[in-house]
Amino acid sequence: MNSQIKKGILDLCVLALLEQGDSYGYDLAGSLARKVEVADGTVYPILRKLASEGVVSTYLQESQNGPPRKYYHLTDSGRRKLNSDREEWLKFCGEVNEILERGETGGKADE
Amino acid sequence: MRYLSEEKLEGKPMNKTEYLNRLSNELGHMPYGDVKDIMQSIEEHFDAGVSEGRSEAEIAESLGDPKELANEFKDGAKFNQIMKRRKKVDGGRDGTGRIFVVVFNIFVGVGMWLVLLAAIIAALCILGVDLGIIGVIVASMIMGKITEFIVPFIFLLLTLICVAIFLVILLILGIKYYGKGLKAYIRWNRHVWNYGLGED
Repeated sequence: MNSQIKKGILDLCVLALLEQGDSYGYDLAGSLARKVEVADGTVYPILRKLASEGVVSTYLQESQNGPPRKYYHLTDSGRRKLNSDREEWLKFCGEVNEILERGETGGKADE
Repeated sequence: MRYLSEEKLEGKPMNKTEYLNRLSNELGHMPYGDVKDIMQSIEEHFDAGVSEGRSEAEIAESLGDPKELANEFKDGAKFNQIMKRRKKVDGGRDGTGRIFVVVFNIFVGVGMWLVLLAAIIAALCILGVDLGIIGVIVASMIMGKITEFIVPFIFLLLTLICVAIFLVILLILGIKYYGKGLKAYIRWNRHVWNYGLGED
């Protein structure tokens, strides 16, 4: 997939992952990289950006083994952003799919 | 694919320390606190992976090229700075602040400080001459060479002593504020150099 398109949508993916509950960097990196073809590191600059925008907050929590981990939490403004961006994205995807599928069946844009 | 941009390290696995060093080098002149924060996150990522039984080399490879990662962090930082309307990157990047500092110093700054320095040196010279004349008059009086016009000479002497005291006070204050002013001026220059010309 085109990296420019991917870049723009990854913020939204990270917000959506956090909607399912607070999580730490390694876990988020894994969840993201399993679904989309990106390097594990990609999630960290995104998390930093989201945190500075205030849509994500951070706190430290003890882990069973090793030093405490930094956890990320979706804030209220993050939830609002996620909902509006998701709606916009799904609408856009629907429109694009409509065009692409019509192309596939060989039909032109006429009804 | 991840090492394509690095001929030297193409396909060569890195351990945690090597990866962190590379990343920290690539981050370049980001503020120290930010670099530290990023390093902590990536180190935590390594530790979490190792505790799951993965090797450092494996984790390093899946993290992606440190140079690319550093660039993504830098892009994010740039974005933040625009959001916060901070001038640092702009001042540093577009160079207007630096050009201003250089031009201002060539035409105004350095000249002004040299003129002030010359004034202080001149005052020192006048003080020296003044003290010299006082010395000559006092010596002449003691040796009894001045027999006539004693009263006018005493008046002249008093005047010269007053001038000397005035000059000493002026020089003490002058040197003190010259130092302070120069320090503030250098600080201001450094600020413009780093942050550009801005409101703050």
